[in-house]
Amino acid sequence: MKPERSTKPRARKEGLVVQTLPDETLVYDLDRDLAHCLNQTATLIWNRCDGSSTTRQIARSVSDDLNHPVDEQFVWVALDQLSRNHLLTDGAPPPVSGMTRREVMRALAVSAAVAVPVVASIVAPMPAQAATGCLPNGSSCSTGIQCCGGFCNGGFCSSSPP
Amino acid sequence: MADSAAAAHRNPEFMNQRSPAPAAGRLVADALRGSWRLSSTALVTRADFETVTPLLYDSGAAGLGWWAIRDTPLADTPSGELLHQAFRLLTLQAVIHQTKIEKVFRHLRAARVEPILIKGWSIARRYPEPGLRPYGDIDLLVRHEDYSTASRVVENADLRDCRVDLHPGIFELVDRPIGDIFARSKLVSDSGQARVLCDEDHLALLAVHFLKHAGWRPLWLCDIALMLESMPDDFDWDVCLGCDKRRVNWIHSVVGLARELLGASINDDRVAARAKAPAWVSESVLSNWKHPFVDKHEPYNHRAPMRSYLARPEGVIADLRRRWPNPILATITVNGTFGKRRRVRYQLRNCLQRARRLVWPIDLAQDPTR
Repeated sequence: MKPERSTKPRARKEGLVVQTLPDETLVYDLDRDLAHCLNQTATLIWNRCDGSSTTRQIARSVSDDLNHPVDEQFVWVALDQLSRNHLLTDGAPPPVSGMTRREVMRALAVSAAVAVPVVASIVAPMPAQAATGCLPNGSSCSTGIQCCGGFCNGGFCSSSPP
Repeated sequence: MADSAAAAHRNPEFMNQRSPAPAAGRLVADALRGSWRLSSTALVTRADFETVTPLLYDSGAAGLGWWAIRDTPLADTPSGELLHQAFRLLTLQAVIHQTKIEKVFRHLRAARVEPILIKGWSIARRYPEPGLRPYGDIDLLVRHEDYSTASRVVENADLRDCRVDLHPGIFELVDRPIGDIFARSKLVSDSGQARVLCDEDHLALLAVHFLKHAGWRPLWLCDIALMLESMPDDFDWDVCLGCDKRRVNWIHSVVGLARELLGASINDDRVAARAKAPAWVSESVLSNWKHPFVDKHEPYNHRAPMRSYLARPEGVIADLRRRWPNPILATITVNGTFGKRRRVRYQLRNCLQRARRLVWPIDLAQDPTR
């Protein structure tokens, strides 16, 4: 029998920055400095993890949202990924590893009309920002426009007017 | 696919693509043409897109690069996926930044300081999505009398993670009284009631800021294009242009550039007729866009402060060559105007001005670029 904490998963809230976009949800884990991208199906399931709904109830309400029947095992597939990415609070739910490959495939195939839940890590070098490239206070300068502070006092950058 | 794209970006061979083709500046302009609008239209071929992606990625325009191609077949290429990942990261970063801005305003207001947020978030908020316009610092304009209090507040341990730049004055708006700037500023509700410049002062600031840095970052011209296309019906061009004839010339030139290079539309016939940048200005900007990276432009392309060469002159000639001023930058620093002919005399004056400061550093009252 599965433990209670596992059948009623709770989404982690603390230490996360969440931004919902039209097709996906972006999550930044402040503790681990990792960014994740949840597709629409994974988002629906994650949002239903309130700590009081069972996986069966989650499957039912996600079915309603998607207007298509969704298997409970389909929910487990999402929970497994959410758990591995530390997006659930109370430890790992019974992982998909408890299911046979055939069961997993069947779970996903049953819901073939629905996108498979995906929690993907965002792996890319941090893109450049748009800072001016100005010199910080105390740097040697020849004109005020070189300085972040806007002033070049006596050959050194400063934020204070003379 | 994201992983392979990211790996490709780190790959030295990929990085070598940063030595761009001669037309790379024009490609950047084409890739960003209309990119701030809701609809997406890619104006570059796949081969050009591969060339331009590193330039967009490393210049702060990765989000806009993605936005421009998101509904086109280019979105499914490795470079497209790389830009998409960048857009996602920048979106999350924008959310984090916004909470910092709210925190900074809360602390300053508790100390009875009312700052104006300039650049950064104040322009980013106007884009269709927060991830399109990245920014790093929180630039705040404060009244001169509030400066020391504000400086103490931003030293607070709670604000250590916020990179705040306080400005008691600002070169870009030095032609208008700071009291008027504050009186015209407005509160916006999308970040806990942050105070921002009125649209007229904001456009003037962005235009002069673009020139002040020789227009090397393409994103800055996108900001201006976005402002031009999102201004309210009652936008007062007289307030924006101000009374200083030189600055009127500067703003007209930048507005003309935004139209010429990025296809921005201008809603005022009188301004549209005057907004034209001389050919050498657009050439200079496109030339800078071939290398839109911070280390390729003043002051980071300098090897060492000139003062250090007084004691150890090795390499001074090479560094002097690097210091020959960009013509746009020179025009601004000597308070010149943008005419049909590029003014070598402005560049010479700029050199003399800098040499004079090297020898007699204290001459601040006369410094128009403070």
